[in-house]
Amino acid sequence: MTNSSTNQTGLVLNIQHFCTHDGPGIRTTVFLKGCSLRCKWCSNPESIHPKPELAYNISKCIGKKQCGLCLKPPCSEGAFYVLEGEDDRIRINWDLASDCGQDCVDLCPTGALYLFGQAMTVEQVLDEVEQDSSFYRESGGGMTLSGGECQLQPDFSAALLQEAHQRGFNTAIETAFNVPWSHVEKVLPHVDVVLHDHKLTDPERHKKWCGVDNRQILANMKRAYETFPDKTFIARTPLIPGVNDDEDHIRSVLAFIRPYHNVIDYELLPYHRFGESKYGFLGRVYELKDFTSPLPESVQRLRSIIDEAFGRSSPLEQTHELKP
Amino acid sequence: MNATIKRIAINVGFGYSPGLNTVISGAVLAANELGWEVVGIRDGFEGLLFRDRYPDRGLVLLTPELVETLDPSSNILGTAVRNDPFHVRIINAESLVEEVDRSDHLLKTLQAEGIDAVISVVGTQGLSILYKLHRKGLNTICIPRSVENDIATTALSFGFNSTLSFVTELLDRAKQAAQSARQVGVVEVLGEHSGWLALQAGIAVCADAVLIPEIPYDLQKVATKLQDKFRTGRSHGLVIVAEGALSVDKEAVVASANPLKASLSPLATDYQGSHVIQRSGHAAQTVALQLQRLINQETYPLVLGDWVKGGAPTAVDRQLGLSYGAGAVRALHAGQTGVMVNFQPPNLSFVPLMEAINKIRIVPADSEFVQIARSLGICLGG
Repeated sequence: MTNSSTNQTGLVLNIQHFCTHDGPGIRTTVFLKGCSLRCKWCSNPESIHPKPELAYNISKCIGKKQCGLCLKPPCSEGAFYVLEGEDDRIRINWDLASDCGQDCVDLCPTGALYLFGQAMTVEQVLDEVEQDSSFYRESGGGMTLSGGECQLQPDFSAALLQEAHQRGFNTAIETAFNVPWSHVEKVLPHVDVVLHDHKLTDPERHKKWCGVDNRQILANMKRAYETFPDKTFIARTPLIPGVNDDEDHIRSVLAFIRPYHNVIDYELLPYHRFGESKYGFLGRVYELKDFTSPLPESVQRLRSIIDEAFGRSSPLEQTHELKP
Repeated sequence: MNATIKRIAINVGFGYSPGLNTVISGAVLAANELGWEVVGIRDGFEGLLFRDRYPDRGLVLLTPELVETLDPSSNILGTAVRNDPFHVRIINAESLVEEVDRSDHLLKTLQAEGIDAVISVVGTQGLSILYKLHRKGLNTICIPRSVENDIATTALSFGFNSTLSFVTELLDRAKQAAQSARQVGVVEVLGEHSGWLALQAGIAVCADAVLIPEIPYDLQKVATKLQDKFRTGRSHGLVIVAEGALSVDKEAVVASANPLKASLSPLATDYQGSHVIQRSGHAAQTVALQLQRLINQETYPLVLGDWVKGGAPTAVDRQLGLSYGAGAVRALHAGQTGVMVNFQPPNLSFVPLMEAINKIRIVPADSEFVQIARSLGICLGG
């Protein structure tokens, strides 16, 4: 690995330690920022936009009387304000604060204003990942790249995965495959396990719920299965009630993946709403506010279809959480 | 600026309310008197941002003859789900979804179309976006539209009166249903930040209690009021709860609130906390359940959701819509730009957009409506 590779910089959202659902063993998951889909159920909204992004936690604000620094230049006029009344804590006009960045965050002494996403080099990321290396050895774990869509930063991801391999770590990615094939070609040679989403089968329904149709996604999947026969692929469906929690979808995914022996499993990730609060921090509206988690018996019924297709006699115990 | 105006545009921001065509008619008729041409932009700004999607290239010529034929309850121009030219969602050449700033493109298109100014019928968020466009050079006049009447600086937003009338009619029916079933109806009405709709409709139907965001409620007080009435032989009750109403019980607030919109909500007091709408119907369900534990009577929740925004406008809103439309043209003619038309009875005036945004018109504790409600024996829970 050359210095230029380890100096490669990417936009990292978070590095999460001791993950157990993002590939084999105990893993360190590196979340990259930027996504090419807009799934309405996304539980990581802070990962969507491909640049650092302002967030606000009002409970940390000490108010105008004690501070009020964000009410003055260089912050944009009207971006921050205080309502009439006793509570003098800052409110954000998210439409006017959309250009606010590090300058505004630096003004905030309490950390109420903060940024999602920071530039990190491959070296910096791996130094942190390396801290968990003893757990990888014990558990057969390693490093997982997630997002957002980690393949949207192909050069950084490839360099990161390659260097992780050189340090002896198992590597995995979580991807939706909605990227140009040129990105896949760069990234996948350095990946051991590919966890990939089959969100919806029908192109038009995919467009409605995820912002774009799935033609590129399906083409990339097929090509990846065929181009990288030695890689392990695990298909996944975030199970959203009324959207894709039907037998037809499950069976069509099975029909898609079963011809390929390197697709070793198909997992269902029942919908949850754990990410909702983050929409608030970002000043965005969560569109599925009236959605609820699928019933356990419905999930089990669908899982039994998968078990049958994979020739498993007993239902798998799967308790994975939904990832975007 | 007025001497140079020949052609103006009008559009409608996200959301709907009864009688939008009356605003459009008001602007068209007033502009016609000045010899100006008026075009309508379809679906917010989308008509100009995605022109290829529209057979008429996203602009519709609005003439006095045309507006004479319009149904007052409708909206000929349509609205957009997203109406922010600074963050336009597109699918790029590589099939990747992204948000791009199309504000420059929008301004250039307006210029190319010879549109000298834009009148926008908008709610609170739309005001901020129009302010941003104004800072980039757009000549604009905004017309306040809110069925909750929560836009600051104007006494009456367009759409409120019609919604109030419709809600009142439905509450009358809910009251009859409660009377017939000998139960306590807990009816949730719109009102995330301000309780004008709940309070004024509650007064109109002489509800037993009205719970609004501005006055944290103690359900024990509501229960006591109802129990007093039951002792006199009454066997039913009607409680109106605005969707943003909150309890004085902090634990109940945290237990019931969803952090989802906390930071979105200008009235939020903490990220987990109050003034956060869990989901449509949550306020009614919470109050109905907790109230039933406190009184010796069955309760049932009922939700009047967004659909109360539809239907025919009242005479007040028709008159107000025409006035706002004409007032916006008057503002342009007077050389104004970057202002919102402001109705302080009996006058229409204009306030800079900066004075209209970042504020909420809430029910003051000493409001005449609060005093009237208390005088009528309506429990406000606090």
